[in-house]
Amino acid sequence: MSARTINLTLKIWRQRQGEKKGAFETFEARGISTDSSFLEMLDVVNENLTLSGREPVAFDHDCREGICGMCGAVVNGRAHGPEAGTTLCQLHMRHFQDGDTIAIEPFRARAFKVIKDLAVDRGAFDSIIQAGGFISVNTGSSPEANSTPVPQENAEAAMDAAACIGCGACVASCPNASAMLFLSAKVSQMALLPQGRPEAAKRVLGMLRKMDALGFGNCTNERECEADCPKEISIAHIARMNREFLKASFFSKEK
Amino acid sequence: MDWVIRTFSSSVGKKSLMAVTGLGFVGFLAGHLAGNFTAYLGPAALNGYATHLHELALVVKAAEIGLVLFACVHVTTGLLLFIQNLAARPERYSGKKWAGGRTLSSATMPYTGLLILSFVLYHLFEFRLNPPEPTALFAFVANYFKSPLNVTLYAAAMLVVALHVRHGLWSAFQTLGANHPKYMPGIEKLSILFGLLVAVGLGFIPIFFLFAVNHVAG
Amino acid sequence: MTLDSKVPGGPIEGKWRKHKAELKLVNPANKRKFTVIVVGTGLAGGSASASLAELGYNVKTFCIQDSPRRAHSIAAQGGINAAKNYPNDGDSVWRLFYDTVKGGDFRAREANVYRLAEVSNLIIDQCAAQGIPFAREYSGLLANRSFGGAQVSRTFYARGQTGQQLLLGAYGSLSRQIAAGKVTMFPRREMLDLVVVNGRARGIVVRNLVTGQMERHEAHAVVLATGGYGNVFFLSTNAMACNVTAAWRCHKKGAFFANPCFTQIHPTCIPVHGAFQSKLTLMSESLRNDGRVWVPKTKGDARKPKDIPESERDYYLERKYPSFGNLVPRDVASRNAKFMCDAGMGVGETGLAVYLDFADAIERDGKAVIEKKYGNLFAMYEKISGEDPYTTPMMIYPAIHYTMGGLWVDYDLMSTIPGLFVLGEANFSDHGANRLGASALMQGLADGYFVIPYTIGGYLAGGGLEPVSTDSAAFADAEKEAVARIEKLLSIGGKRTVDDFHKELGHLLWNDCGMGRTDAGLQNALDRIPAIRAEFWENVRVPGGRADFNQSLERAGRVADFLEFAELMVTDALARRESCGGHFNEAFQTPENEALRDDENFCHVAAWEYAGDKKAPVLHKEPLTFENVKLTQRSYK
Repeated sequence: MSARTINLTLKIWRQRQGEKKGAFETFEARGISTDSSFLEMLDVVNENLTLSGREPVAFDHDCREGICGMCGAVVNGRAHGPEAGTTLCQLHMRHFQDGDTIAIEPFRARAFKVIKDLAVDRGAFDSIIQAGGFISVNTGSSPEANSTPVPQENAEAAMDAAACIGCGACVASCPNASAMLFLSAKVSQMALLPQGRPEAAKRVLGMLRKMDALGFGNCTNERECEADCPKEISIAHIARMNREFLKASFFSKEK
Repeated sequence: MDWVIRTFSSSVGKKSLMAVTGLGFVGFLAGHLAGNFTAYLGPAALNGYATHLHELALVVKAAEIGLVLFACVHVTTGLLLFIQNLAARPERYSGKKWAGGRTLSSATMPYTGLLILSFVLYHLFEFRLNPPEPTALFAFVANYFKSPLNVTLYAAAMLVVALHVRHGLWSAFQTLGANHPKYMPGIEKLSILFGLLVAVGLGFIPIFFLFAVNHVAG
Repeated sequence: MTLDSKVPGGPIEGKWRKHKAELKLVNPANKRKFTVIVVGTGLAGGSASASLAELGYNVKTFCIQDSPRRAHSIAAQGGINAAKNYPNDGDSVWRLFYDTVKGGDFRAREANVYRLAEVSNLIIDQCAAQGIPFAREYSGLLANRSFGGAQVSRTFYARGQTGQQLLLGAYGSLSRQIAAGKVTMFPRREMLDLVVVNGRARGIVVRNLVTGQMERHEAHAVVLATGGYGNVFFLSTNAMACNVTAAWRCHKKGAFFANPCFTQIHPTCIPVHGAFQSKLTLMSESLRNDGRVWVPKTKGDARKPKDIPESERDYYLERKYPSFGNLVPRDVASRNAKFMCDAGMGVGETGLAVYLDFADAIERDGKAVIEKKYGNLFAMYEKISGEDPYTTPMMIYPAIHYTMGGLWVDYDLMSTIPGLFVLGEANFSDHGANRLGASALMQGLADGYFVIPYTIGGYLAGGGLEPVSTDSAAFADAEKEAVARIEKLLSIGGKRTVDDFHKELGHLLWNDCGMGRTDAGLQNALDRIPAIRAEFWENVRVPGGRADFNQSLERAGRVADFLEFAELMVTDALARRESCGGHFNEAFQTPENEALRDDENFCHVAAWEYAGDKKAPVLHKEPLTFENVKLTQRSYK
């Protein structure tokens, strides 16, 4: 943990609330500890902006330990920055060099409107989950937990999918702004578990139609989502969802 | 019938159409490749193959109709996806770097697709509209590839096809849900192999004619 | 006012059953005539919203983040306890109850804890049915592990992301009710005041964090599930948005605040690295199952850990607590780390860290096994620290993690304001003076899934809830006050940033009201806090405007409340003339440096009543009686 300090030039996207257009603004970040996280570096920039009478850069963040999914921006052309399997809050400045120029812009997609600066509205993800990303069990009506065994292998695969934090990096990095990885993580998790089977057909149809209606793009198997996903969720889950979709469309009674 | 429309107008439905028709073309390409290989064996083999095909006129007709239908579906759906995908990100990134998922092949699918469409139309115009007698096919082809322009065009076209197939083939499996840890690595390798086969096997025919056949024939 | 906990009579095993049978019911057709506001969408708020909506109530749910899925419950790593006794190792509802009361150093209400243990099994059933991918044995049945000082394996887990999975389960149920139209979801809203009409909680005033607009919402009851106040220390493992504002405004409207000095310091966090650090990261204490804690025996030993031979290492937890070893409760583990560092044995650049070493475990079980158990935690550690814990021992240090104190509630989880219910970490709860590992998730979900759906019905069926209008004076006044505060914050235009004040406060509290408290330190804090607060209101700079997405303004409001709340916390710490659990006053300790309780005089809940801005808060005591668990000195030897 031996820290150095570095100086950086930042090109940050600024967009006022309620406006459709924005532009890059350049800032100097001096004396940044390499032990800082990327967001802590932005904190320093914002403190200086505040003191100099300018408005700080708006960016979403919360847990700062890579699990809440609230943070995210496109840093030097990559969602959550250049490190694999890392959220922006967990990206540390030791991965940058003194004198680097860093471009920071919001996740961009028609379905993710920019609220202000780097903060975007990802409410579309909630809408997708509302369209079926759950098991319809009322509180109190559940059977004894061990009455339904789940093969360990399936539970593990379901957990791989369930690790999704809903950050939107998959959409941001997809050349088509598709939300298929997000969608498939939930569909796949539920499809792998016996508890999820009764509603499997209804779930996949509902969620996919919702995604289409919200203006996300179509998956063309470019695998960018998988490469930028901070939880490294595999596109094998997209294939499983496709399978579920075809099964539901052609062999279930759901219309 | 409402469900059929809903299914095929959905994103995965459209992609499935692309996958199924694409796999059809892969099958066609494999057949065409096998047939054209007879060219390497000399005039007798190629002309014999052509004559044999002519005797199967009905089957060929049916296949042609099928291919035209597939092409219509593949092209219109592909264009629709292309337009929708552009619209899904109205504001582009200032400098997007790819994370390593994308390949040259996957990134250029709509463009290689359109190039292939133009090539196929041209190819049909040149070979299908005024077809030579099957027994004179070898001579016809030999004559056709005396032109370095034609040779370049056809060889280049095959490179484009190879590029399209390299992503298209495994992608079709993925879209149809056939992604299994045991088989997927093999399918991905097969896509590359098949692409290479198309590039080398078909792409080399014009060059073969230009240098080997025409040179020997003087 | 006397505090009535409304604990039902009879033997402890039958209290909850009896109470449920006696609670009034709301007719199914009438449930839709009632609206309930739920603030917060963590485990408690999310599960309560879903369960109440399933019953037929109209629910309005509010959260501060962009989506209900992001509440900080999501960051809980280790697991959730339940008394299933699947491993056949002697667990039972009774033992879970006993362990929780003892772990809390006998400062929790017995009846509440028993109920918690009782419903724990239902939670596991519920979560399994929701499709939570719990760890499983090869048989396909649920796996358990021992966790944080328990001698039985009763912890259910989903890798190192149990909180995330449980929260997403509750979020799924909530989403289903949103789709069904039974829950109206209001994300990116911050509750700025509680509206009390005729002595009952009847609504809230919130600020839309995107547009800055103020909104008024009325209901028949308000459920507060807004988490803990750990961020009063600035650096904590809490998420950045965690705050005391909602709870504090309720306190100022009449809800008593109980045991604010009971704060938990988690022993296994990544040490502080620098002045710009914004938060601390917890490493699940499940790590202590396989990691061995040690420091060099010699003061200031600057050698690399691998160069320090076995004979020169002090595995101090194993030495001092042979039967619990590295698995002693959190407060004990934390205090010992501080003790070793204060004695000069600390490691790392700052000397404020101890080693957590996996070398023996890796040698015993193989790297693959350790990777399977802790892979994600090791990866996280490496990301943050830049060191590989497979080859170099981790460095850890305690950090503020959880707050056991909170708004006082009775057995029905209702505060001293009728109609205001408080769930999860926001209430003073079931954990007494110290919370055991894997029991926060249990409590949040117990409150939301299995307690509030019953007790709120009893309240609503009691009647007397006339219609209220958001145009009424109570709403208008609350909004006016909130707006005035915002205007004031924006108008100061001083020279210091909000974070600057927050850091100053946090630093003060960490030193004077942290792991080891002294009367002098507490008094110092009590003197300093009003001064910091006064300067804040004269010299803070909050840029931007009111009708905007203004994150500086959001933080300013929260820090302003922390500056008021901190004084109460320190006052409470000073008033409790004993040590217990997370509250350790150095004047009260056993010869072995353990917390020394004073059951004679302090076996009570300290519930503070707000008396006005310039007046000292009024202390009310709820005596704690232990009929089922014998009061003993905790021993983990």
